[in-house]
Amino acid sequence: MIHGVLIFNTSGVPRLTKFYSPLHQSEQTLVQRIFALVAPRPPSLCNFLDAPELEAFLSPQDGGERLRVVYRNYATLYFVFVVDSAESELGVLDLIQVFVESLDRAFENVCELDLVFHFDEAHHILAEVIQGGLVLETNVEEIERAVHDAAKARKDSYASANPLSLGGGGIGSRGPGVQTPLGWLTGKLTGVGAR
Amino acid sequence: MWERTLQDLIRGLRANKKDESKFIAQAIDEIRQEVKSKDMELKAGAVLKLTYLDMLGYDMSWASFHIIEVMSSPRIHLKSVGYLAAVQSFQQNTDVLMLTTNLLKKDLSSKPDDIAVTLNGLSHIVTPDLARDLSQEIVAMLNHSRAHIRKRAVLALYKVFIRYPEAIPQGMPRLREKLEDQDPSVVAATVNVLCELVHRSPQDYLSLAPQLFHLLTTSSNNWMLIKIIKLFGVLTPYEPRLVRKLQPPITDLISTTPAISLLYECVRTCITGGMLQNASGLSLARTCVTKLAGFLQDSDQNLKYIALLAMVKIVPTHPQLVAEYQDMILSSIDDQDISIRMRALDLISAMVSRSNLQPIIQQLLSHLVRSDSSLPSATQSLSQPPRLSTSPSQSPAYRITLAQRILALGSQDMYDNVADFEWYLSVLVDLAYVAGVSVGEQIRDQLLDIAVRVRGARRFAVQLMIKVLSDDTFLFNASDEGSCAEILWAAAWICGEYCGELAEPYKLLTYLLQPQIASLAPDIAAVYLQSAMKVFGTWAAELAVRWDDDDLPKVKSMVDLVLEQSGTFAANPNIEIQERAAEMQQLFAFIRADLNAHRPKASAEFDYGGASGFNDSTAEPQFPKSLFLIQPLFRSHELNPVAPNAQTSVTVPEGLDLETWIIPPPKEAAPVSGEEERDAKEVRKKHKKGKTKDKGNGKGNAEDADSNGVAPTSRHVETEEERAERERRKAERLERLRDDPYYLIDDRVKASSGPDDVDSIPIVKLDDLPPPTQGLEAGNTSLPRLRDTPSAMSPQTFVIDRTGEMPRSAKTSPPAGALTPTIGNGAAATTSTEALPSFPADTAPQASSPATPQAIKVTRAKKKASSSGKKKRTSTLATANTDTT
Repeated sequence: MIHGVLIFNTSGVPRLTKFYSPLHQSEQTLVQRIFALVAPRPPSLCNFLDAPELEAFLSPQDGGERLRVVYRNYATLYFVFVVDSAESELGVLDLIQVFVESLDRAFENVCELDLVFHFDEAHHILAEVIQGGLVLETNVEEIERAVHDAAKARKDSYASANPLSLGGGGIGSRGPGVQTPLGWLTGKLTGVGAR
Repeated sequence: MWERTLQDLIRGLRANKKDESKFIAQAIDEIRQEVKSKDMELKAGAVLKLTYLDMLGYDMSWASFHIIEVMSSPRIHLKSVGYLAAVQSFQQNTDVLMLTTNLLKKDLSSKPDDIAVTLNGLSHIVTPDLARDLSQEIVAMLNHSRAHIRKRAVLALYKVFIRYPEAIPQGMPRLREKLEDQDPSVVAATVNVLCELVHRSPQDYLSLAPQLFHLLTTSSNNWMLIKIIKLFGVLTPYEPRLVRKLQPPITDLISTTPAISLLYECVRTCITGGMLQNASGLSLARTCVTKLAGFLQDSDQNLKYIALLAMVKIVPTHPQLVAEYQDMILSSIDDQDISIRMRALDLISAMVSRSNLQPIIQQLLSHLVRSDSSLPSATQSLSQPPRLSTSPSQSPAYRITLAQRILALGSQDMYDNVADFEWYLSVLVDLAYVAGVSVGEQIRDQLLDIAVRVRGARRFAVQLMIKVLSDDTFLFNASDEGSCAEILWAAAWICGEYCGELAEPYKLLTYLLQPQIASLAPDIAAVYLQSAMKVFGTWAAELAVRWDDDDLPKVKSMVDLVLEQSGTFAANPNIEIQERAAEMQQLFAFIRADLNAHRPKASAEFDYGGASGFNDSTAEPQFPKSLFLIQPLFRSHELNPVAPNAQTSVTVPEGLDLETWIIPPPKEAAPVSGEEERDAKEVRKKHKKGKTKDKGNGKGNAEDADSNGVAPTSRHVETEEERAERERRKAERLERLRDDPYYLIDDRVKASSGPDDVDSIPIVKLDDLPPPTQGLEAGNTSLPRLRDTPSAMSPQTFVIDRTGEMPRSAKTSPPAGALTPTIGNGAAATTSTEALPSFPADTAPQASSPATPQAIKVTRAKKKASSSGKKKRTSTLATANTDTT
């Protein structure tokens, strides 16, 4: 089972946190601890995080099996999956790739700012890949279609509720590929890594 | 529209980095207003903003009711906001969850888009109650016309099963049907769920094997194959016939699949599923290990990691196969990646054996050595103070893991893998030098453990410990974190206890008594003083046996040194140090007086040929008698390791209630009465013991003189009157103590008193360990008594005392040994005080020692009558701490 999905940037600021099982410590501590261990690792190292500092941290208090941290670094973002032994280590690595590809298709060349301003959308996309800690779908085309359908349903619903609005700048209304009113902003702001 | 949207909030956050908390406080105030709005759009917007802030660590539990309001919106773009907020913030104990049952039911019968959002949300927030109420709907959803809903329902059903297992009998048949769903994603999701469920009760899922086997041989979806392979890995231990069935397809997959993740999973399942056990398994195992070794050499670090992970699993069954790649694995420990190092450490620990322990530990140790790659020997490292490192892989957490791993590897199964203890002792000392993390206590314990259990290594241990003691590094760095100064505790204790192994033990005294030890931790300094006393005792006794009057100045100067140091430590605020120093001072003050009074005899009278070095004609020894003062205090019994369950096998004697207060809680002034009598009694007792002791020390011929009452030696012989007097006083005392709540009285005393009088029984004799003559022999045959280790303990084949000492007969063993662990030395400690009437003060503190309660001695006396009493020595560690009381 997948116990958690974290996305944070190279400064350790969380961009998306999702936990599928109850935590023993605050989300923020977990993100900070993992960030502190992941950040100094050069890209040549392996994608599994094993550190003595994590031993006590990841062993569940109820005596269950030890969790593993699998991460990948894309540009300014770290994608971290916390999984148990029922997941294949290399499989999770591929799953991260699937998730990132799905984000990329939905946002068209996803960058950190897409996740910053559309964190709800990122959650919806994640929900098409993983549900309740189990893998729902691994086929990128399938995911793209589902994301698109769900986004369209939300957009139509928004449009019917706000017949006067143009372009749909409201809540969760942004469909994949739709140019947002903030498009100019994403284009202009190059400085990522800041909140 | 002046309300902030989520985007506005985020932009605001980016613009207000300086006083973010103020900005957020303001935003939360706004949100609190907005969630109360009747406008659902506004309310949803507020909840979404709150969800974002939740990720940054701001509490949103207060808004859970508003979240449910948003969830109940009929518009999907609002509903999904509500469900997202619920997923992110609701816990199992969120109370509003019980309000959601009908809402969820309604949503589950709504449009497909709504159902998808609801199923996804339900997977997170489902509680046992919700699972019970909704299981019907979700099971029904398994046959939804849309595959997207079906697979979501399959995954949601898993959570329902987990929260409400009673739903399994009803839902499982329907779930099994989904293994034959026409949509591959639904099948994959079902396999996924089964893979999680199978861990709970593997037997229940054995019937799925044919279906899964069919999928295994027909599917090409690697994701699903991985899960199926994992599933079989859990099932095979419960159905051995599966192994034969699975071997062909898995072997096939291993040799053909291009997907490394699947290959790895096959290998792993072969290992965990026990497919490598039978004859055909061996070739499969070889294939697996060869593949894994290939991964190990791969440039992809992930494969390396995975290979190490899998090899750990294969080592227990096929160690010889993995051992072929030992060099490769050892080199992985040097990897720059901490993750790989950690896995390699695990693997190495699993494959360690008697033959490879040495190179493995050397390599691990070399990691702790900073900068230079070569491992310094014990002597080299003695001269090199530990330096601090800045390398990231030398993080304290890693170092402590490494150091503990070294210690664990060595001590595994009671040092089973250690072939050469001299080497291992050097490793321990090296470790103390290079560790730089606080593992000193473990090192100390192991050093002590080995010195006590492995006789063959003792002499080397003592030599090594002298080096440690003579090196200032630890002394200077004692206050530093991770300096491992605790090793000095072990060094001092071992040198003190086994200084008989040394040719010139007195040289140690200068190390043990250097003024700098005051800077050590009090418990270490106390052991230093204690050991100094032991060393002096041993040395003085040896000196006495081959006494030469030329030695007198040397002894005198040493006694002066001891007195000088103990004088300073007697004022130490720590009670352990203070008491030891004060005792030392008293004892050595006497020795000095005796030495000063010593007049060399005419050398013509010296006759070394006698059995004891005594001058028979005068019954007065050549040497200053006080040289024998200290040694018996420490050497009357051998220290042995005590079996772990020795304590529990000591039966509590009838009539002894360990639960009752010895001293009742409401405190009163301590009684002074009776002290005197006890002193007197102690003295008598000591006298008796002293006699035994003296015999043990090789002065047996003085015994005759004693009994004739001729020799005016210090020895005191009981006359008839005295015996009567003693009887009378004893009766008096018992009578008085009867009503004294501070004493334990055993009524049986009366019955057994008489010939078996308690007070006349020398306690030392009770112990069936050393026969009284042992000391005599030892003293005669070899001057440095312990120097000749028995031939059985050849240094090449180390014998480990694994079991430890047990009470010979647990049934009849007196509890006294357990209650007063110091009794052996405690009794001996008073050996020759009767001979020293000029120092009555010395006996007082000992006489009032709480370690000698009357009743307990009485019990022992009885046991002695049945000749099965055996005093139990305490564990080595405890003894070292307490043997002066």
